[in-house]
Amino acid sequence: MVSNVLYHCPCLSASSVPPPPHLESSGYSFHPLHTLFFCEECDAVRCNRCVSVEVSGYYCPNCLFEVPSASVRAEKNRCARNCFMCPNCRNTLSVVPSDPPDAGDGRLSAPISTVGEPPFFLYCNHCRWDSSEVGITFEKPTGLAAQLQKLEDYAPESLEFDRLKEHFEPILRASSLSSSSSVAPSISHSHHHSNPITAAASAALARDIPGVAKYTPHARSGRPSGKDRSANKDEMPEYKSRLDINHASTYGSGGGDVDVELMRRLEDVSEVASLEQRWNYSWSTSLETRDLKPLRIPLHSKRSKRCPACTHILIKPEQKAQSVRYKIKLVAANYLPAITVALPHQIEMLGHISAEAAKRSTKAPVDDDKDTRGGLQAGKTYPFHMSLTNPLYDPIQVRLSVQRMHVAAAVNSGEGGTIDKARRPPFAISIPTTPFSVAPFAEAWEYEDDEEMFGLDDDELEARLSGREKEPKPKSKTVGILEKRANVTVVGGEVALGKEARGEVKFNMLVAYTYRSDDPAPSEGHDISPSKKAALETKTFAFYTVVDLGNIIPKEEARADPYDV
Amino acid sequence: MSTVPETPRSKTSFNPSTPTTSRITGSHVQSSPHYTTTRRHSLYGVEDRIIIDPGSLIWKVGFSGEGRPREVFYAGGKAAKGLWGLTRATDGAERQEEDKLLDIRLEQSLRAVFHDSLLTDPKARKVIIVENPLLPLHIKEALARILFGNLQVPSVSFASSHLLSLLAVGRITGLVLDCGNLESVALPIFAARPLFSQLRTTPLAGQRFLSHLRSLLLLFGTYVAPTSPGIANLPQASRSMRVPQEILTNEVLEEIKTRCCFVGESLAPNASEPVDNGPTPDDSVVSSDMDVPPTSDPAQSESEFSFAGRESGVSSQHDSSEYSVISTPRMGGKPQDRPPGSENRLQVLADMYMRHSTATDLQLRVEPPVSMASSSILGYGTIIIPGWIRERTAEVLFEGGDVDEGSLAEIILDALLKVPVDLRKTLASSILIVGGTSMLPGFIPRLHVELLRAISPPPPPPSRQPTKHDKAPPPHYDRYATLRPLIPYLSILNNPSPPAPLSDRAKNNGGKAPAFSPATMAWVGGSLAGALKTGGTEVSREKWDEADPEMEDTDTSMSETPARSRSTQQQTRALQIPPPRNILPDWTRLPLPVGAPSVGLSSTSVKSVSPTALIPTSRARVGA
Repeated sequence: MVSNVLYHCPCLSASSVPPPPHLESSGYSFHPLHTLFFCEECDAVRCNRCVSVEVSGYYCPNCLFEVPSASVRAEKNRCARNCFMCPNCRNTLSVVPSDPPDAGDGRLSAPISTVGEPPFFLYCNHCRWDSSEVGITFEKPTGLAAQLQKLEDYAPESLEFDRLKEHFEPILRASSLSSSSSVAPSISHSHHHSNPITAAASAALARDIPGVAKYTPHARSGRPSGKDRSANKDEMPEYKSRLDINHASTYGSGGGDVDVELMRRLEDVSEVASLEQRWNYSWSTSLETRDLKPLRIPLHSKRSKRCPACTHILIKPEQKAQSVRYKIKLVAANYLPAITVALPHQIEMLGHISAEAAKRSTKAPVDDDKDTRGGLQAGKTYPFHMSLTNPLYDPIQVRLSVQRMHVAAAVNSGEGGTIDKARRPPFAISIPTTPFSVAPFAEAWEYEDDEEMFGLDDDELEARLSGREKEPKPKSKTVGILEKRANVTVVGGEVALGKEARGEVKFNMLVAYTYRSDDPAPSEGHDISPSKKAALETKTFAFYTVVDLGNIIPKEEARADPYDV
Repeated sequence: MSTVPETPRSKTSFNPSTPTTSRITGSHVQSSPHYTTTRRHSLYGVEDRIIIDPGSLIWKVGFSGEGRPREVFYAGGKAAKGLWGLTRATDGAERQEEDKLLDIRLEQSLRAVFHDSLLTDPKARKVIIVENPLLPLHIKEALARILFGNLQVPSVSFASSHLLSLLAVGRITGLVLDCGNLESVALPIFAARPLFSQLRTTPLAGQRFLSHLRSLLLLFGTYVAPTSPGIANLPQASRSMRVPQEILTNEVLEEIKTRCCFVGESLAPNASEPVDNGPTPDDSVVSSDMDVPPTSDPAQSESEFSFAGRESGVSSQHDSSEYSVISTPRMGGKPQDRPPGSENRLQVLADMYMRHSTATDLQLRVEPPVSMASSSILGYGTIIIPGWIRERTAEVLFEGGDVDEGSLAEIILDALLKVPVDLRKTLASSILIVGGTSMLPGFIPRLHVELLRAISPPPPPPSRQPTKHDKAPPPHYDRYATLRPLIPYLSILNNPSPPAPLSDRAKNNGGKAPAFSPATMAWVGGSLAGALKTGGTEVSREKWDEADPEMEDTDTSMSETPARSRSTQQQTRALQIPPPRNILPDWTRLPLPVGAPSVGLSSTSVKSVSPTALIPTSRARVGA
């Protein structure tokens, strides 16, 4: 039902010809116009999949505090002030004071609201979780993260981690020493998986073991000399865990008997935390929801993006977190004509439906009708409208051509010739092939028509157009230029569906537009590739789009399949 | 750019440069004390590496030197569809499409890692990829290609997940079983050297668990439809029905698995009839919609049937693919599961489990499927999960007997069998269980019990053993006889509830690992390796670019997949593998060691690791 036009970015393939639209993977090569960028240097469209991204600033999405990049790392990319998320519902938590002592409850005025009663805690306004449930309370209502920092610093996993590091560090150091004494290569040669860890291990092997004479200095992969080694403990000093799993599990974590009992007796699923709530913890944690801790809110970043080829900046936001403006903004919408597509019969039908709906307010039957009347039925021919909007200050000449695609596609799928023929042309598209012009963009029009034209939904716009113009001569001019107004040109096309057609009506369309930059000094940013501007007067830019007109309703059953939008 | 190169230049670089090594190590020695003092303050520092543990389903990412990953996410989105599976399309065009999709999704995930999760500039960060030894090579290459091409990281190293897991428990020797999503892999490691030729694998892992859970729920679960406002108080009994297939999306199943399921103790041998529950549900669900679920109201069954029939019709094509992926190997191998009596046996099985399970039934709210929500149904439906399903779904992981799909205990013992005799005792006493599926409560203690049971002599009267271990009773093959002396030494390092130890060694080892969660252990090890400035063989971007025949493409940071795949597909796979790819270190590319081990690798392991091991590998880098 929703017909749309997406623009091709060639970054996923080496060729500029887009993949046939019916492949699943091709969907990733096409993007809505508003997500695309345009590199003036390369004269090419860039998408979010290929631009290289740089962080130009960090901020907390909740308090909008701009975090200096120096502290981002230490604060683990999370807000280090007062912003917390509810572990259950991910809502923002608010800091609330405890209930005031029951002295004079007549007024709850200034002194209490500014300070509140000392044990502060975090409270979720959505699910009513509060942090005192997990024993987290605060002395003061500010700098909560700092108060919690201690908890984090002494989290068991980080302590254990440091201990592990201390355990391995001397061994590694010894290994690097020994490897520097020209022994390392020979070890590496001899062994098939020689990485630094291995080197470490071999160094450990090479060390004198008290009580064991050093007879085979560098045994190969522990195999020949393995005998004493396996009898003898092994080559590493034993690591003593700070808190081992056996002990940890007695507190109900780590999948031991306690957990099993808990699960066995479980009455309500919600008592057990979901995987997403637990999986960040590298330490064996309790399964239960009530043990979840509040989460600091992750920072967001403002990003500037560069062209992957020439590293020119395509978009650069203003530094301030509150600002939504951009210092540099080379978005494709300013360079490429915006194309929208609509099926007039759908719009008419929508009009009917809304009219009917206005009369009698039964809804269920209308739904069914809508699908059949508004859908694309196999074996029929439908007109469609494409409106092109010129963002440039110069008029453009546009030429559209449909990529002949489906033949190749059918061959591609590698089936027999007979099947090929059967499924080759599910539909045929005819669109005007002669170049047509779209008038330049001008500020004046924008303001003039803003309310009545641009304020409307495109579909509605089309509806009005078709209602206004198409009524008298419906069949005579479905293919061709239908209307020109301001910087918009509407062209009509036609799609003829085969009798056996099914699937989506989706086709690639090449849009080539020529613009003349006769103005010697046009306002910057609206002419493409200034280097060439001097040389010649006109320039052509071509890009691919995929036009999706919606699903075909197979002929046998006039009922529509549920659309997968 | 960090100035200090990573510690000892490892294999790729040592050849030309013995002097380099010494120089580097010199600087390392200087830097390491410095490192400990400044690490906390290295705020702008970029020497912390990025550790990515890319699973087929779940990715864990973070910075080295930290005790926990910064972010964990479903790589394929919340729908919990894995990025890759155990099979690849055989048809050229299909595979091309599949590869393209994989590339795109990997790229999406990797970009998200840097730009959304870690908010860091990829150009300044070295990356350690935690790599499962059976990670297919084409995926490994795709990862490297995207990291170097699209994201332009300075260097990538691959480190074996099993080895890293061992590091996380402070050891470099042990037998590590990684029970992940697609497969379970047992790999012995001695002195930080993974003994790859002794690797053992089975597809009994998270995926299989899910499909088994789905089958059980379809047969024995109950679905209570949401109340519709029109009819005021329809009693629950009349709203309950067989669970519609389309409700059991991967997402819902994943939730049931992670929130409801656990692993009960092994049933006493005499309590269990000789049943093989693994494959049957899989098959019978697809084939038989005809048996009445025991929990549903018989009076209601009429309407349910029509409904169920329609449902399966609608959703079968989308579901059957998953089924076929999962159940075909078994169906092929075990035709005797097809006879109509299988439902009876299932029922028997269910009865038995029900009898022995004290777990409570649970209700899970789910959104009603789209097709049913057509009219004005409000609210959520409810799935009633019988307690025994919660407890016994995991049995599928412990039921072995299949040549290709050994149980988890069997692959551990098989790996032990392959290990040189003098290492067995050491390895048997330091077994480490990691991976997401082993997070199920009770999993590890149960595995220990299963190990003991599998190793114990098969009793002549047919209790459970005969069907499990050998199909043909007469010869009575005692597979693990040689391992039996190890029984007192068997211990699982991270067993939260180790049984009473039978030896000092078991006492010293069992349950003595730090309490890191099994799922993140590999990541933690990666973080540790990164903090210690070690980690797998490093491939620098220069190296990659040099080796890349399509230099200009990487320069413009465009992935060159389609370019390559445009020429005929099969050939490219085979022909183009060498140039850009040999640069990535991989154990399968190493020259076979001379002497005895190589014989073991070439003959035994290839043969007896057998189809299951070779399918997932699909690293048929041999030329495919």
